[in-house]
Amino acid sequence: MNVVLRAIGNVFWSMPKGLAVTFKHLFKKPVTLDYPHQKKPMSPRYRGLHYLERYDDGSERCVCCGLCAAACPADCIYMEPEENEKGERRARIYEINMLRCIFCGYCEEACPEEAIFLGREYEFSDYDRDSFIYTKVQMLVTSPRKDNPFKWIIRKVRRVYGVPEPSL
Amino acid sequence: MAEAVTKKAPSNKATVTLTIDGRSVTVDKGTTVLEAARSLGIHVPTFCWHPKLKSVGSCRMCYVEIEKMPKLQVSCATEAMDGMVVATDSDLVKQGRRAVIEFILMNHPLDCPTCDQGGECQLQDLTFAHAIDDSRFAFQKERFVEDGSVSTFDDVQIGPEIMLNRNRCIQCYKCVRANKEAFGEFDLGAFERGNITEINAAPGRQVDNPFSGNLAEICPVGALTGMDWRYKIRVWLTKTVSSICPFTASGVNTLMYMDETKNRIYRTTSRRNDEIDDGWLSNVSRYAYQVVHADDRLLTPFIRRDGKQVEATWDEALDLIAKRLSDIQDQKGCVCIGGLVSPRLDNATLYGFNKLMRHVIGTNNVDYRTEYRMLPQTPEDHYQAACSQPIRISDVDDSDVIVVFGSDMLKEHPNLYLRIRKAFNFGAARIFILNPYSTKASDVAELEMVYHAGMDEVALGAVCLTAVEKGIVSSDETDRLREAIAFDSASAAALACGLEPDHLELMARAMAEARKVTFLAGEIISRSREREPIAAAICNLNRLFSINTKGQFGILPGHSNSRGAHHLGLAPDPPASIKAKLRSLWGQYPDTETNTTDSMMVQMRKEEIDGLIIMGANPVMLYPDRAFARESLEKLDFLVVSDLFETETTELADVVLPLSSWAEYTGDYVNLEGRVQTASKAIHPIGDSRPGYAIVEAIADRLENTLYTAEDYRRDEIDTMLEVDTACPVPNLYVPSKGGQDEDDAEYPIALMIGDDPHHRGHYTEKSASLTSHVGEAYLELSPDLAAGHEIKEGDSVRIESPVGKVVLPARISEHIRNDIVFVPRNFPSAPVTSLLMRKRRIDRVRISKVVR
Repeated sequence: MNVVLRAIGNVFWSMPKGLAVTFKHLFKKPVTLDYPHQKKPMSPRYRGLHYLERYDDGSERCVCCGLCAAACPADCIYMEPEENEKGERRARIYEINMLRCIFCGYCEEACPEEAIFLGREYEFSDYDRDSFIYTKVQMLVTSPRKDNPFKWIIRKVRRVYGVPEPSL
Repeated sequence: MAEAVTKKAPSNKATVTLTIDGRSVTVDKGTTVLEAARSLGIHVPTFCWHPKLKSVGSCRMCYVEIEKMPKLQVSCATEAMDGMVVATDSDLVKQGRRAVIEFILMNHPLDCPTCDQGGECQLQDLTFAHAIDDSRFAFQKERFVEDGSVSTFDDVQIGPEIMLNRNRCIQCYKCVRANKEAFGEFDLGAFERGNITEINAAPGRQVDNPFSGNLAEICPVGALTGMDWRYKIRVWLTKTVSSICPFTASGVNTLMYMDETKNRIYRTTSRRNDEIDDGWLSNVSRYAYQVVHADDRLLTPFIRRDGKQVEATWDEALDLIAKRLSDIQDQKGCVCIGGLVSPRLDNATLYGFNKLMRHVIGTNNVDYRTEYRMLPQTPEDHYQAACSQPIRISDVDDSDVIVVFGSDMLKEHPNLYLRIRKAFNFGAARIFILNPYSTKASDVAELEMVYHAGMDEVALGAVCLTAVEKGIVSSDETDRLREAIAFDSASAAALACGLEPDHLELMARAMAEARKVTFLAGEIISRSREREPIAAAICNLNRLFSINTKGQFGILPGHSNSRGAHHLGLAPDPPASIKAKLRSLWGQYPDTETNTTDSMMVQMRKEEIDGLIIMGANPVMLYPDRAFARESLEKLDFLVVSDLFETETTELADVVLPLSSWAEYTGDYVNLEGRVQTASKAIHPIGDSRPGYAIVEAIADRLENTLYTAEDYRRDEIDTMLEVDTACPVPNLYVPSKGGQDEDDAEYPIALMIGDDPHHRGHYTEKSASLTSHVGEAYLELSPDLAAGHEIKEGDSVRIESPVGKVVLPARISEHIRNDIVFVPRNFPSAPVTSLLMRKRRIDRVRISKVVR
């Protein structure tokens, strides 16, 4: 008998209680964003779409050494080196299959030239699988990005340990 | 508890016993501590030490601690002594090695990401092994910058295939030492001292010697890297496959680096085999892999329709072959079909070809010697005897007299050439060279005797007669010997062949006194029309000096599987033991007429042979009478040619079949010692090409006569054949050795020698980009005097005329060559030099003149 009464009481009490929560949120700032008109600022540590950095003089940093591909657990990086007109080693082909990539960031960590970074871009979608193979041209930045937090951290570590900036 | 390991040592050598890391070892006196440790399987890291070079102890990496010695010792330069107690892994040793690496890294740029050696660099490995992750040197590293360089990379190309980066050099001097000690080349040297020591090409020179590829291979760091491997692929992405060089008769062991997904070979390195190659590869062996990936490989079969070759499928091609061959068989009989095969193909192909021709078709028109002139139909006994003598390459090392006769060792057997150099540099060998022209090996020779071209057997006869006349050796049958040589006195013979009597006496005395003699004859003999009398002269020399009882002698085969071809019965009239074995395997053996390449061509002209199958050979280009070979093949009703490339011979063919190269299937090859070695399959066949054995088996299938009823039988039959003893006995008497001579022709005074360029061999290597970057076109090599007489300067176009042909080539003046001789390489299709030759001549004679523009 008691059980039945308590159940009936719960029904009448819990409904206003739940509605109270709902109505409370009517006056709060919403957590969702009006995507795609609004975009969420990503954490500085977010690992999104890769980009290839340039030197200050505009030349590519990547020398196609193959360490990112060697470090990649998903085996999604493919590259072929070539000799450029100045006799330097550069990538002729540099491709990342974004469908295979797990965005672990090992490539960034392995890179001895500070050439590859995982950026904050997360919106990449398309209608066919082929377009997810990102080529070097797609990933190369147009001008050096100085704002990367990792770059700053790496340089700081270098200064602390007295490791000279890699110069060619 | 000490475990005694005894290295097998000759009893006459003193031994010492020492303890290394608590284990006792007994080694020969004179062994270094490093080698003693290696014999125990203890790894001592090194940079500058190389097993085949003298120790210098310049890198200090092989530090060991030896009791009662105050400081660490370099083990590669410390002789093992009785009772030594050595520690190779103590804390002091580790500290010492750490310091050495830190010191080496002082000036070594950390440009591993851009360095081609990355992943296989000894400095990288040892740095990791010693956990060195920081540097105490804060100052600027020494950097070599090339004048006018726009690159931030300091690479300099010092040879067609060698890239130098002096910043990375750790001054181990391995390259310079190998160049000097092993190859006898001086195009690379060390300059300056101390911090700015640099390795560089000798002033005004290029590093382009025939062994230059080894320098990049032995460099422990990325200072010398190969151009063919430059920026292609990382070493950890490749798979290695063990293979055999198909261009050298010694069967040099190689390792191919290939990528499975791309079906591509990226480079070849050596696979050290002390019995054969000592870990050195000639450039031909090293860069031969590029032939596999040449752009103009044949990819599909071609059939001639209405006078034009058009693409076809394998079924169409094989059906046509079967139909035409059975037509010829029905109309004119099986003797009207012949077969020529290249001795560079593997055992399965050669044996299958033999079975196809002899068992399925039933003809004796089979030959593998397509480059020799005037081969008689009956076998040449003395030549066969001299060819089938047992030879061991490693026995060259401890011979005390080495005689090279009629062979340009560098061009024919580069690894034997290195062995001879080694016997001179590291052993106590006295080397005598008897050749119609001066060769590269002359700098290690005690005597180089250059006889008149075409006087080969007279030169050997002169040696024999000198030995008898001077009482150097006693012979019971002196008169018979004189009769055999057909000269009365040594001086007459010496005069005839143009040799100094003193030289002959010196050589005869050396051979008589020697404990162990190695006598090697080569292609100049085999290619000669008079090979039988020359072989008889070799047998006479052998009998007089009893070479075969105190050493080895023989005529070396020319190609990678010549011995295999002989063993498998590819000769038109093989030795009786082979015939008997083939008969027992097949149940029958044809008893038709036996025809060599030469007599087959004669019969083709008479239209007695109508159908011909050629595999891998290119008689039109390499047979020593181009017009004759071409006209003969044109007379054929039906010609099938299987080759890697479109050649002069495939142009004439009715059916062209694409052949797979040696890297595309697993095959066995018999080297010049008779050693059977395997070249493993590295990549899948390119295009629609098929391995040789598959082609012959497919043809046999279409002729409704399957070669092997089960897959295993092929291997079993070949193994049975290789076990047959084919050694021919050396004649026990002095045999007549008088060879015929040509009539003199005053119009054509200069003898012409045709051979291979040191960077090429046969008709394939021209397709290798690295080899053509060394030598890319044919040339005429002539002496300075001869050039001056015709007012020819280096590089001038010279017209070479013989009674049958004319070729224009650039001149190359060489100090080595005699005045009455010129040399032309035969490897380049653009210069058809065999069109100057006449097959019935012993020595081809030409006249030269400058082309005036």
